[in-house]
Amino acid sequence: MAVGAIVHGTPSDAHDEPVDSLYAETRDMRLLGFVLFLISDVVLFSAFIFAYLYLRNSVPQWPPLGADGKQLPRFDTLFAAVNSVVLFGSGATMHFALESWKHGAKKAFNAWMASTIILGSLFLAGQAYEYIHAKVTWAGSTIGASFFTLTGMHGFHVLVGVIYLIVLMGQANSGVYTKLKHFGLTAGTLYWHFVDVIWVALFTLFYLI
Amino acid sequence: MAVAAPAHANYHDHIHPEPTNFVQKYIFSLDHKIIGIQYFITTFIFYCIAGLLAEVIRVQLLHPTGGFVSNEVYNQVYSVHGSAMVWLVIIPMLTGGFGNFVMPLMIGARDVAFPWLNMASFWMFPVAGALLFSSFLVGAPEAGWTEYPPISLQGPPGTSLWCMAIFLVGVSSTLTGINFLVTIMKMRAPGMTLTRMPLFVWAQLATAMLSMVATTALAGALLALFLERTFGVPFYDPSKGGSPLLWQHMFWFYSHPAVYIMILPAFGIVSEILPTFTRKPLFGYKAVAFSSVGIALVGFMVWAHHMFTSGMVPWLTLPFMILTFFVAVPTGVKVLAWIATLWGGRIRFTAAMLFSLGLIATFTLGGITGVFLAAVPADLHEHGTYFVVAHFHYVLFGGSVFGIFAGMYFWWPKMTGKLMSERLAVAHFWATFIGFNLTFFPMHWLGLMGMPRRVPIYDQQFQSLNVLASIGSFILALSTLLFFANVAYSLTKGKKASSDPWGARTLEWMISSPPPYYNFKKIPSVLALPYDFGEPLPYVGGDLIRPNPQSKFAGE
Amino acid sequence: MEEFVGLERGVAMFGGLVVGTTALTALINDWQATGLDNNVTKLMLGLMVVGCVLVVLTAFHALGAPSV
Repeated sequence: MAVGAIVHGTPSDAHDEPVDSLYAETRDMRLLGFVLFLISDVVLFSAFIFAYLYLRNSVPQWPPLGADGKQLPRFDTLFAAVNSVVLFGSGATMHFALESWKHGAKKAFNAWMASTIILGSLFLAGQAYEYIHAKVTWAGSTIGASFFTLTGMHGFHVLVGVIYLIVLMGQANSGVYTKLKHFGLTAGTLYWHFVDVIWVALFTLFYLI
Repeated sequence: MAVAAPAHANYHDHIHPEPTNFVQKYIFSLDHKIIGIQYFITTFIFYCIAGLLAEVIRVQLLHPTGGFVSNEVYNQVYSVHGSAMVWLVIIPMLTGGFGNFVMPLMIGARDVAFPWLNMASFWMFPVAGALLFSSFLVGAPEAGWTEYPPISLQGPPGTSLWCMAIFLVGVSSTLTGINFLVTIMKMRAPGMTLTRMPLFVWAQLATAMLSMVATTALAGALLALFLERTFGVPFYDPSKGGSPLLWQHMFWFYSHPAVYIMILPAFGIVSEILPTFTRKPLFGYKAVAFSSVGIALVGFMVWAHHMFTSGMVPWLTLPFMILTFFVAVPTGVKVLAWIATLWGGRIRFTAAMLFSLGLIATFTLGGITGVFLAAVPADLHEHGTYFVVAHFHYVLFGGSVFGIFAGMYFWWPKMTGKLMSERLAVAHFWATFIGFNLTFFPMHWLGLMGMPRRVPIYDQQFQSLNVLASIGSFILALSTLLFFANVAYSLTKGKKASSDPWGARTLEWMISSPPPYYNFKKIPSVLALPYDFGEPLPYVGGDLIRPNPQSKFAGE
Repeated sequence: MEEFVGLERGVAMFGGLVVGTTALTALINDWQATGLDNNVTKLMLGLMVVGCVLVVLTAFHALGAPSV
């Protein structure tokens, strides 16, 4: 009786790393764990997005009135659009970085990684610029509270991501990853895409609607 | 039956080596069994502290004018009692304790998926406990375990410590949830399909899903409260455009699923104990397994039933009321399945079994009062009274804590390799059962008569029932000593436990007590559900210890 | 910031188009790939395309408040 053949979590996710089953199983678990972590992080952002929409809907007009009784201004959409392009662009370069690694193109990988890190830092600089020139304050109004908390949390994630990417680039160049075994790079890419996607939501919520 | 080695045996042979020094072996251990026991020790210490706080409440309420502690201290005491019992005792004990010790053994794994993460999750708990209890030094939170703003915004400095403590527990809980989900999804022994998993594992699966998804919502709410208290960032303060109702939504979006985080593992424990001590397969395995997931899913959509009197949009109350009624369906399925399991079984009244039966009785009562409270017309009258206190203690003590003690008596021989004194254990059960009902049953009347919860003084007419409740709580406190006496007895003089003292059939009983460091030298393959008593064991391969069918079961 | 409005519009429009097209191409190339990581990546690339569309629409003043 072929009990060993009874299906047990076949490592189908490990299609690009078929070599030894020991690594495939571990990668499988890490991947699922990482995706679950991203899901729980999405919930954290969702909680604050819910708070924002709730507070937004509890006043007759948005942006709400400031302390002086005048309606607060909206955020500058165009600048945020440019900043969004920078971040989305970094997502694309990250995607190509992972693709080049999978194809063994180390030089291209380094170039794409470097551009991702630069674009990510550029986004942070843009956000810092926006914070400095913002016409609302964190503690001054509900729009400021939601805006600075949510974009601050997102910015913190980007900052962590930039550091993470620098570490990954160093690891990749010191031989930690191979063409077939590179879960760290996969996780880094997923994380970076996640940061992009959160920004799609924040951009829509704060600048467009 | 010749069995080929499972295809993925490579992976299972790869595990961190057993540490030899004390610190790595017992303090910063990566072994799920040691971490489970660490959770038990920590949470039982917290249980005693939080239990003593409850006794302060009951002593204060002996007399209508109170006088045992000041009103402020009284507020702090019940706030910390509730917070500690929920976040530092019941949740970590059922997930971190039982989940860690039992679940990997049951699925035939050598550890959880991420042992290091598991250790980190554990060590957040002592820190969180220290933060929460030390808040008494600077003025503990005063707004109840729910910490509704705006009162919590004006609360003493300890409220911020409370935020940090619960945030830390939340992080730990989320990470444990992720860890357990990956473990259950990816590390089951060959042949253990989802529908061959023991029911306790199903319960842990549903619980892990809940804690993974819901807990970060609480973390968000706490972060916002902390920011508002510290930097004045307006989320909840209505004078600055915030909304106190926002906190209630965010808090209950987590805290109602948290109720199921606290009860589903206890249900799982009962579902393991009943078949063992009736010598019958559990009635309706699939129904019970899927009802856990059903409770978890519906549990996400009912949070606003805590807010019927909070000034929520009126039309929303009806859907939340109806959805809450739906929770009773999967819960009722479980209770019916348990009773059907008892039917015609060869029942052995061990302490574990008595606590399980006690759970079925008291939890059902608590569940029924829950349906009362979910009905808007009744809730408008009962909200904020002692009826609610009675309800959730029947659910959380009569459900979760009874489940914890049932599980302790059941798995104690596996954890320590020693048997407990059954006589002392049965005495513990009866003292707990009587003390519990004496404490909390009168609260139903008190609530319906109109005594509000969270008050340090009360009207003269409520005194006799309050004295009764206080006497019950003293019995309850003393009964806990019986448990600790039993622990001491077992560890010093207890008889050595065999690998399977109860005649149970899940995988953890097929290895020595306590289990060796590697759990399973060879991973067995699973052919069927473990509950078919009288049939040959459904395992092949592995080097399992086969229980002697002639052996006399302990407690018989 | 008024003097940069034209430049900003240009960057947003051009960048949004380029990045959006790239992401869409990557998404189409990856469409057949299976596995959890690839499926998550596809979802995220898709949302990134949506983001780029929003950016381009913003640049055309079809969405969002008029620039300051």
